[in-house]
Amino acid sequence: MIIFQFLFLLFSLFAIGTVVKRKKDAVMSNIGTAFWMFFWVLADVVVFFPDSTTLFANRLGIGRGSDLITYVSLALVFFVLFRLHVKLHEIQRDITSLVRKDALEDRDV
Amino acid sequence: MFLAIVPAYNESERVGSVVRSLLAHVDAVVVVDDGSMDDTAEVAREAGAVVIRHRLNRGQGAALETGHTYARNIGATYVLHFDADGQFSVDDIEPALSVMKKEHVDIIFGTRYIDTRSNVPWTKKYILRPVGKLVDRLFGGVHLSDAHNGFRIFNKKALEHMHLSHSGMAHASEIPALVKKHNLSYIEVPVSVTYHEYGQGIGGGVRVVRDLVLGKFSK
Repeated sequence: MIIFQFLFLLFSLFAIGTVVKRKKDAVMSNIGTAFWMFFWVLADVVVFFPDSTTLFANRLGIGRGSDLITYVSLALVFFVLFRLHVKLHEIQRDITSLVRKDALEDRDV
Repeated sequence: MFLAIVPAYNESERVGSVVRSLLAHVDAVVVVDDGSMDDTAEVAREAGAVVIRHRLNRGQGAALETGHTYARNIGATYVLHFDADGQFSVDDIEPALSVMKKEHVDIIFGTRYIDTRSNVPWTKKYILRPVGKLVDRLFGGVHLSDAHNGFRIFNKKALEHMHLSHSGMAHASEIPALVKKHNLSYIEVPVSVTYHEYGQGIGGGVRVVRDLVLGKFSK
């Protein structure tokens, strides 16, 4: 086992522990728990058996499995960042609506 | 009722004189204090304005929309947007309102580019203005020579349609888009602008574009 695989295993176990804790605290749904457990187990499989992704990569016309992982990860990160940005924008609007309501009620119009 | 809406943020030095001079030309002045950390609200109230206070700083667009809501609630017939920093001249109000009534238009937009009274910095005139016009066109606004001029007058019909969703400076591009969307009539009149500070620069322009883009993806 190379050092990276060991460190990644530790990190994924920590992440799975966090998922379990959030499930116990009743802040995560069954679907959410299942998704994140599956995600981290799959990540472990990919890290321990890097060649397992090559099969899929070849079918998509990409040479190496690690390249496929890089492309998919980058796309996901950009998508999540964009969603977060939009969500923040919506929260800002909600705050503005609250501030306005409060200001106008204070004014007793 | 002719109501002036004055969005203000940390303008205690100038807002008093602005309110007093406005009261000679309009029926009432509402100052929307956008979470100022100084005495803007107290100074404006002492000068004779109705003051509505945001507990948090939300931006000029948010302050204007709060003013619009107040104006709709009290049944204002005309609404004037006027900056709190004293950059506009109250002498431009009556000629603008006369044009509005004579031409039967829904909105008056002030412009710095019809006459030569305003000493507009060249970076604003030759860099920010063309870019701003292009952005307004891309986001569906009507053609204006000076879209980001804060001097505007709305009649009641325009006020009913003017629900601003952008809290920051992107409202200046949102307004021409709403004019087009609701098929409102408008005319531009010359106004003078005296610069006490530079105002919105390139960074502000980038934020406007960012807000306009993100606004397209939000509810």
